[in-house]
Amino acid sequence: MIRVRATFEKKGRAKYISHLDLNRCMLRTFRRSRLPIWYTEGFNPHPYYSFALALSLGYESSCEILDFNLTDDDISMEQIRDQLNAVMPEGMSIVSVALQEQKITAIAKAKYEFSLKTEDVDGLFEAVCQLTAAPEILIEKKTKKGMKTVDIKPDLEVLSCVKTDDSVDMTMYLPAGTQTNYNPSLFIEALKRVTEIPFESENIRRTAILCADNTLFK
Amino acid sequence: MSTLKEKIEKHLLEVQKPSRYIGGEVGSVIKDKSKVDVRFAFCFPDTYDIGMSHLGMKILYSLTNERENYWCERCFAPGLDFEEIMRKNDIPLYALESLDPIKDFDFIGFTLQYELSYTGVLNMLDLAGIPVFSKDRTEELTQIVVAGGPCVCNPEPLADFFDIFILGEGEEVNLELMDLYWEMKQQGAKRMDFLRRAAQIPGVYVPQFYHFFYKEDGTIDRMEVTDGAPEKVTKRIIKDFDKVYYPDNFVVPFTEIVHDRVSVEVLRGCIRGCRFCQAGFIYRPFREKSTDTIVSETKSLCENTGYDEVSLASLSTSDHSEIDPMLTRLIKYTEGERVNLSLPSLRVDNFSESLLNKIKKVRKSGLTFAAEGGTQRLRDVINKNVSEEEIMSTCRIAFEGGYSAVKLYFMMGLPTETDEDIVGIAELAQRIIDLFYSIEDRPRGKGVQISISCATFVPKPFTPFQFEPQDTREMIEHKQKLLMDSVTSRKVKVSYHDPNVSMLEVILAKGDRRLCKSIYTAWKKGCKFDSWSEHFRFNLWLEAFAECGIDPAFYANRRFDYDEILPWDHLDYLVSKEFFIRENKTAHKAVTTPNCRERCSGCGVNKAVGRDCF
Repeated sequence: MIRVRATFEKKGRAKYISHLDLNRCMLRTFRRSRLPIWYTEGFNPHPYYSFALALSLGYESSCEILDFNLTDDDISMEQIRDQLNAVMPEGMSIVSVALQEQKITAIAKAKYEFSLKTEDVDGLFEAVCQLTAAPEILIEKKTKKGMKTVDIKPDLEVLSCVKTDDSVDMTMYLPAGTQTNYNPSLFIEALKRVTEIPFESENIRRTAILCADNTLFK
Repeated sequence: MSTLKEKIEKHLLEVQKPSRYIGGEVGSVIKDKSKVDVRFAFCFPDTYDIGMSHLGMKILYSLTNERENYWCERCFAPGLDFEEIMRKNDIPLYALESLDPIKDFDFIGFTLQYELSYTGVLNMLDLAGIPVFSKDRTEELTQIVVAGGPCVCNPEPLADFFDIFILGEGEEVNLELMDLYWEMKQQGAKRMDFLRRAAQIPGVYVPQFYHFFYKEDGTIDRMEVTDGAPEKVTKRIIKDFDKVYYPDNFVVPFTEIVHDRVSVEVLRGCIRGCRFCQAGFIYRPFREKSTDTIVSETKSLCENTGYDEVSLASLSTSDHSEIDPMLTRLIKYTEGERVNLSLPSLRVDNFSESLLNKIKKVRKSGLTFAAEGGTQRLRDVINKNVSEEEIMSTCRIAFEGGYSAVKLYFMMGLPTETDEDIVGIAELAQRIIDLFYSIEDRPRGKGVQISISCATFVPKPFTPFQFEPQDTREMIEHKQKLLMDSVTSRKVKVSYHDPNVSMLEVILAKGDRRLCKSIYTAWKKGCKFDSWSEHFRFNLWLEAFAECGIDPAFYANRRFDYDEILPWDHLDYLVSKEFFIRENKTAHKAVTTPNCRERCSGCGVNKAVGRDCF
């Protein structure tokens, strides 16, 4: 048995596939691919596979991670990739396949990119700068125990913030993994609360999944 | 200017289950529209989750798309949340493959599976920006609104809204219609020219060429036919069913749908002749697929879709002449591939032990029996040829096999029904409970659970009961109360259907074209998704009937005479009216008719197709 880690894109119309639906979708994709996927043992055997992180509905990604086991040790990584890509839904494709190196718990953060569309680019840019410079950024986050106020400032790493003709484009790291998970909508909500300039977030996409030392998770 | 796709995507995250509205599913067919000659929007007048479960759409979708220059796309009713957004933002109803508005399509085809979806048709046409009434549509040859499906056997209540109804099985006639369209389109023909020629294709009914005149008592006096259309329109059937086109792939949805699995059609028609059952008559003659075909279709569909569940579709799967060897071969395949096999539509009377063992191998779920009537007399009236002995012996096999929950379907308000028949339902349930406790090796640990589900009988066209009145609400309420009072055990659970829903169903099922205005009015008042209990608003329907001068009881609670001209008499479903009259009389004598395999009952379908059924 080999433990495989595939990196896949989820773009275009595929961004409307919810995480729950993605699970079912992958099951059928594996079946169509006829790869020798390993089934769990026990009373109700099912094919074993898991996603490293959930992706919010409506976000695109170029770096989603899917782990699964195959019963055939001799199959090549290229063959796995090609067999899956032949039967993936529109908008989804396997970028790379490799053996699993690190444990899932090594994931610490994810990189996000998005555009904030507005008619007042300068004003919004100013508001973003003020927000990121503030000593704390408090937001209401829904948790299993109800609403909780959290400060996302300590975990927020803004990598870039640039003006275009009709938007402010941002790149940032946010915590991800088994402990804390923030997604850009928290930052966007916080921004909405500090500025009256109308804007709409567009093209939110996850572009990297990283370990604590900013190296790519493998 | 933003494209329609951009407009849709702008709002898609505001609605429930957005993947229903954007297409892109595995198995969906995308074509280059510049190379397509005829575009067909296959519309289901309910939401995606329901419509995507419909087998007929899957068949006709794939079949049409096999033709390179034709493109069939799917279209469903949006949920209320998305409909509001569409109306507010001028998003016209669009097809899921191209995301193009369906108003620009050559054909807008609806499947009419149940009467309570009729307002959904009007709402979808309106959302599409297509005139709801046929007479208001363009003179040009485009935007032909057609319908097929079981309700088309009496399409009169929708006659004003459709250009064409297609009677019977669509596998051949749909393409003939599209071929004619393309031929005439190239010649620059107008809509009316096309409709006149189309009316000459067998199975094609163009309602505007048929004119009805009524007597003072409200019944039909006579019908006149114009424009050279035939006096009778005969439904289409596929002669060689084993060779009929069947898709080797389905569109696989992302979101969960009602029937989320591979369906393989094993037979068409039914040999049983239950007198209340429309499907049992309108899909005649009985034809089955060979085991080889069934197995190979199962394999290719499972492989191409990736589904891990397959279900056999038919009116009565256990009536297949090769049921045992067929299941043996199917189970061999499905077990090897870790696919679940489910078998709905099994009958009580030929439910053998070996069959049960096969099902058990597949999955242990509840057992459901359609007993329909509470006493033997009533079951004889409706020709449900199931005896109490058979029900009991089947339950015994099931209990001994480890089952402890049984679901029983009944109808209430059947012709000749008395209080005794209602009490009989409760008594039958009690005898099943007694049987359970009399069995030595019954399942231990949990008690027996009997669920009784009671629907109100709806007399339907093209059945021996088409002449029958429906019970009034007062009668049904009395019977419901009687049943509740007769059930004493807590091991029996009873559930009902809303009698108002059944009343609307019968009006729309047996109505004539004077009802078109009422349907339009009800929809204008806000009726839609009538089959969803949370959206069903009977008071608005009653208002609509009153405003349009329609007496609901005329359709629902009146006995139609044998010699009365019925609104569907000009449509020929190959089973003769004489047969229905004969069967109706036999029913009132509580005499049964044997199934078609035992003895031909002379319904007329063999004459029409020119061969014996067996």
